Parts: sequence; C-alpha cells; structure tokens
Amino acid sequence: MKLLEVKNLNAGYGRINVLHGISFAVEEGSVAVLLGANGAGKTTTLRAISGLAKARGEIALDGKSILGVSPDRIARRGVAHCVQGRGTFADLTVAENLLIGAFRRSDKYAIRADQERMFDLFPRLRERAQQKAGSLSGGEQQMLAVARALMLRPRLLLLDEPSLGLAPVIVNGLYEALHRINNEMAVNMLIVEQNANLALELAQYAYVLEAGEIVLAGPASEIASYENVRAAYLG
Amino acid sequence: MSYFGQQFLNGIGSGAIYASLGLALVLIYRATNIVNFAQGEMGAFSAFLIWQLQQWGVPIILALIGAIILSMLIGGLVYAIVVRPVQNREEVTIVIVTIGLFLGFNSASGAIWGYLQKALPSPFPAVTWYLGGLRISGDLVGTCILLAAIVLGLYLLFQHTKIGLTLRAAASNAESSMLVGVPFIWMMIVGWGLSAGVGAISGALVAPHLSLDPNMMITVIIYAFAAAVLGGLASYSGAIVGGLLVGVSQSLTTAYLPSLGADLQVIVPLGIMVAVLAIKPEGLFGRSVMARV
Repeated sequence: MKLLEVKNLNAGYGRINVLHGISFAVEEGSVAVLLGANGAGKTTTLRAISGLAKARGEIALDGKSILGVSPDRIARRGVAHCVQGRGTFADLTVAENLLIGAFRRSDKYAIRADQERMFDLFPRLRERAQQKAGSLSGGEQQMLAVARALMLRPRLLLLDEPSLGLAPVIVNGLYEALHRINNEMAVNMLIVEQNANLALELAQYAYVLEAGEIVLAGPASEIASYENVRAAYLG
Repeated sequence: MSYFGQQFLNGIGSGAIYASLGLALVLIYRATNIVNFAQGEMGAFSAFLIWQLQQWGVPIILALIGAIILSMLIGGLVYAIVVRPVQNREEVTIVIVTIGLFLGFNSASGAIWGYLQKALPSPFPAVTWYLGGLRISGDLVGTCILLAAIVLGLYLLFQHTKIGLTLRAAASNAESSMLVGVPFIWMMIVGWGLSAGVGAISGALVAPHLSLDPNMMITVIIYAFAAAVLGGLASYSGAIVGGLLVGVSQSLTTAYLPSLGADLQVIVPLGIMVAVLAIKPEGLFGRSVMARV
C-alpha cells in the first residue's frame, strides 16, 4: 500500500523548472530517503509535497490527490514538514511550540502525553520548556522542529536535511531519536539528506536525485553498497 | 498642590485615550506584524457608526457594542480585500497601503457623514466626585476601568487560549504556522478584526472629548504612536504607561509652560519620546531582539 505516491512531478520557482518529471513513492510503514547534491531539487520536492511550492504532475496521499491543496489543509491531513534550517516559532516558548504543533488535534490528554513523550525523547527540551525557541542553540532548535512536527501525529513526516550544520555528536543523538520514533510511534518518513550514512541506516528505500531527475532507486541497503553512490554521498 | 493634582489627573484622562488607540496599534502589530497607520481613521469611522446607530434610536451602550462588532467585521474585510494581496511585499509597500487606508477611511467618513462637527455622548455616567480638592469625573474612572479590562482581556486571550496561541504563532512564523495546519489568512483576519474592535472603543472615548468629525483622530494617532513606541510597540502595558506618560507630560506642559503655547506644547511629550528611544531603543517595555546562529 502506497502512503505517498508522486508521479511525473514538475516544480520550480518562477520560470526555472527544478524538477523534471520525477516519480517515486513512500510505502505505508516505511522510511524513504532522498539523496542528492546541492541544487538537485530535494528541498523543492518536499516543498511541492507540503504545498509550499507550485507543482505540476500527480501527488497523492492515501490515493487522494493533494496537488494544489493549501499547505495548512495538507498539514491537517497529517503531513508534517520539517523545513531546512529554522522552522520553529522563535517568539514562542518551547512548550508553546509543541502545543501549536498539535494544532489539528483536539484530544487534550493525548496532547499532554505526547508533550511529555517529546521531553523524554529530547531531555534538553524539557530543561528549556519555558524558554523562547529563538534563544535555543542550532541543535536544540532542530530537535524542537522535529518534536513539533511529531506533535501533529503525522502520517508522513518530511525531514529536510535534519543534520545540516550540526555537530556530529548532536547528529548522532538526533538519528537515535528518529530510530526510536520510527520504532515506537510508527511514523512514515521521507528524509532528504546530503550526508547519507545515518539516513540510509534508518531507511528501507532510497532514491538518488540528480539535476531534477531520479537516477537511482532501490532498497536502502542496496543503494548504500553502490560504489559511485558511496563516493558521492557517503564520504 | 491641588492645581498640580488636577492637571495631573487631566493628563491621565487624555493619556488613557492615547493609550486606548496605542493598544489597538500594539495589538495589530503583535498579531500581524503590521504597523497600521489607518488605525485612528478606522476608529473615527467606528465613532460615526456609534453616532449613526444612536440616531436610529439605539441606546448608547448597545450602539457602542453594535459599532464594535461592525468595526471588527470591517477590519477583517479590509485585511482580506486590501492588505492580503500585498502581504508578502516589502514593508514599505504595506506602509503605503495603510496610509492609503488612512485617506480612504477619512474620506469615507466625510462623504457619508459630512464635515460638520457632531456630538457623541460619553458612554459613562456624567457624575463627578470631589476628593481632597480634586475633581474626578465618572468619565475618567470609567475610561481607566475600561482600559484595564481591555488589557486584561487581551492578556488572557493571547496567553491562555488556543486562538491566542495560534495568533501568536501565525505572527511569529507564517510558513511554519501553515505547516502545522493553521489557516494563516484567517488568523490575519482575526487580528485585524480584534484591533479594529479596540480602535472602535478608542473612537468612542475620543469623540465625547473632542467633537465627532472625520479629522478628530489625526492628532490622537500621533500621540498614540508615541505611546506605543515608548512602550516598545509590542507591549500592552507598555502602551498604557507610554500613553499616560505622554498625556501627563502634555497636560503639565500646558499648565506650567504656557509660554510654549498650544502649538508648541507637543514638543515636550515628543521630546520625552526621543530621549527614551535614544537611551533605550527597544522602548521602555520592549525586549531587544536576540538571535542565535
């Protein structure tokens, strides 16, 4: 069963077309990773799925088209998008960031329980619960962004280079948390990464994007073993 | 002493009025990140709505409530129709649009109701108390209570309700708010509606003091901006303190420096504003914006 199915997707900014008819899917109950160099179109792909970028082609969630639907409606259907860099609400406290993450939900007690769960997952956030998100370090903001996205109880979590600009030890911690999330909460994910070792360990399926086209697709373990992929993305 | 006391109280009275419009400015800034130069003219338009309802035989309190509701609807519509199309442009564009709204509302009031001055009664009882040689009007007491109630109401709304949190989130980061499912445009409409409602209350407070005409808010908006900026533009209590500071300094200037005359007395409150901002650029109650990389 395909949770997300993208077919012949074209997207870009203004007149510049970045994606040239790409097709891929995220299976129900799985993690997929999208690899590619800078400018390959990874971010554009995620922005097209969450409704932030204009696109042509087909994007279906659970078999229903979400192409042309506004970002807030797509989010209410259960797609959480962690944008690259800072997607947190700088003027809100950490606790408030988590609460607003649960905007589409009305199950008060479950929201409280999930907030606690996020604090267990990222203990740094508990220490800083009453601090403004804008005063957090880069790593803490990234953890908050992931936690806030999970508060939506997403069917599909889109992560845009979660490791970008973070120290290796923090990246390891973040991926440990993602493994736990995947095991305990069964969240389907589509992860975009440039440095892909950790992402490939987490994912079952991988796609390689080059200049707006998918040039390689297959099980993550298989993709990880290709010599040219190793050279380009695994360092 | 009682002369000083009376002048001081008079200053509180006018300062409270500046503060009420200052609150509307702070509210719209906090909810939508927009500095609305038309806030005063929208308030004047609302005061005319009260007058019109009253002319049709509606009692003053009901006319006030009716005008507040109508003003909120108008405020929301103004955002949806006029401001939304330019929301993503540079700040200068938005400023020019709100200045256009200033002229639009000013002319609309004139075109509909004319430029002859009208009398709008105060919504508060016309009683006067005497306390140790000081004259305290029901109007002054009522205005202060109303202001305190608005500040408390806004505080509770923004800090302790889901809609308040949602409004703050939308103002803080538009894109992220959409990505958690917030209908961003509706939040902007609510922000404009709320501030237009507070602006209507301000219009209802100003009109009985001056007289109701399309230009009555032009000086008030200048003092209200002074009040809001003094308080840091994003703080409700800051707008109140700023408004009272401007009102009292203006009143005392008139009383003790008559040589400055009616035209130059503006110098003192505006001088205080410049001095405060020179020493503390983020305003009395503002927090300097801190960013970590």
